[in-house]
Amino acid sequence: MTRVITVQRDVAAQAKEQAEDFRREMTRRGTLVVNLLSSPGAGKTSLLAATAVHWGDQQRMAVLVGDIATDRDAQRLAPLVPAVQLTTGGACHLDLPLVQRGLEVLPPGDLDFLFIENVGNLVCPSSHDLGEHVRVVVLSTTEGDDKPAKYPKAFRTSRAMVINKIDLLPYVSFSINSASDDALSIQPQMEILSVSALQVTGIDRWCRFLVELRARLPQLCPPR
Amino acid sequence: MHEMSLVRTLLAQVGEIVSANGGAALRRVRVQVGPLAGVEPALMASAWKQLSAEAGCGDATLEIEEVPLVARCRGCDMDFQPLQFRFRCPSCGVPETDTISGDGVVLQCVVLDDIEQGAST
Repeated sequence: MTRVITVQRDVAAQAKEQAEDFRREMTRRGTLVVNLLSSPGAGKTSLLAATAVHWGDQQRMAVLVGDIATDRDAQRLAPLVPAVQLTTGGACHLDLPLVQRGLEVLPPGDLDFLFIENVGNLVCPSSHDLGEHVRVVVLSTTEGDDKPAKYPKAFRTSRAMVINKIDLLPYVSFSINSASDDALSIQPQMEILSVSALQVTGIDRWCRFLVELRARLPQLCPPR
Repeated sequence: MHEMSLVRTLLAQVGEIVSANGGAALRRVRVQVGPLAGVEPALMASAWKQLSAEAGCGDATLEIEEVPLVARCRGCDMDFQPLQFRFRCPSCGVPETDTISGDGVVLQCVVLDDIEQGAST
């Protein structure tokens, strides 16, 4: 006899529940969790280094940094902040168990900010909730301004877009207005921040944005 | 290519349903995939072919139904399909909208064949 079992359930439902539990726990600890997404080379690590330098001892931050191979990014950040490399061994995105293991390796102590630097990829990481309060997509001027339209999910699920490498604008074909218009049509509530992590331009506004977000921590949940 | 890990998760969930139903034979699995699921149906189909065989249910077919993206306006409560991923409400212009379907993979149903005990000719 043939039987049809109706399920009608999101395949990722269990993973989403686990992410929600993690988010709730980090809210309880007073830690704002930020998941940084971008293409490879957009400047996520440089942005975090500039953030760490800007804050100094004012804010307690740590970084979990994901890559397919090497621990180079963690080595770059380690002189500035506690940083743990999450090596995926070929996987194109981080998942929550990897993040939780990384958090256990960090030195004990309360954190104001936990940054998760995802694997450089605008596709797969956008489908995985890591229990973050805020997803931020980093777009650099050298990549072209068409990325929001080409990778809608990464931008739809992000609360902020950081346009990095604005010091290179005179040399590249990139329109901040065009990228912003596309990003805002996909995520009309997107906060847009322009920075140059290497020239330390716009970092004060970026850091202020994060501090203001943390002040609203109990109300934060990812956009749908 | 995260379709492989997605199909592994799907197979685990289907396996639990098969076990809960007395180990009946799996015939068909039906899923809905939306434009913002981050899934390429062709890649999902080839991942299913490989991984279902490894899981011992290689005869079972995976049906992938592609469904539209639907958002709901928080201002006027209207449901709409965002054209070219433009999510501002086309009716009242409010920017705050929620994606209500088409951004994930939904396991719709599982079709099983009961194994007849002691059947003989």
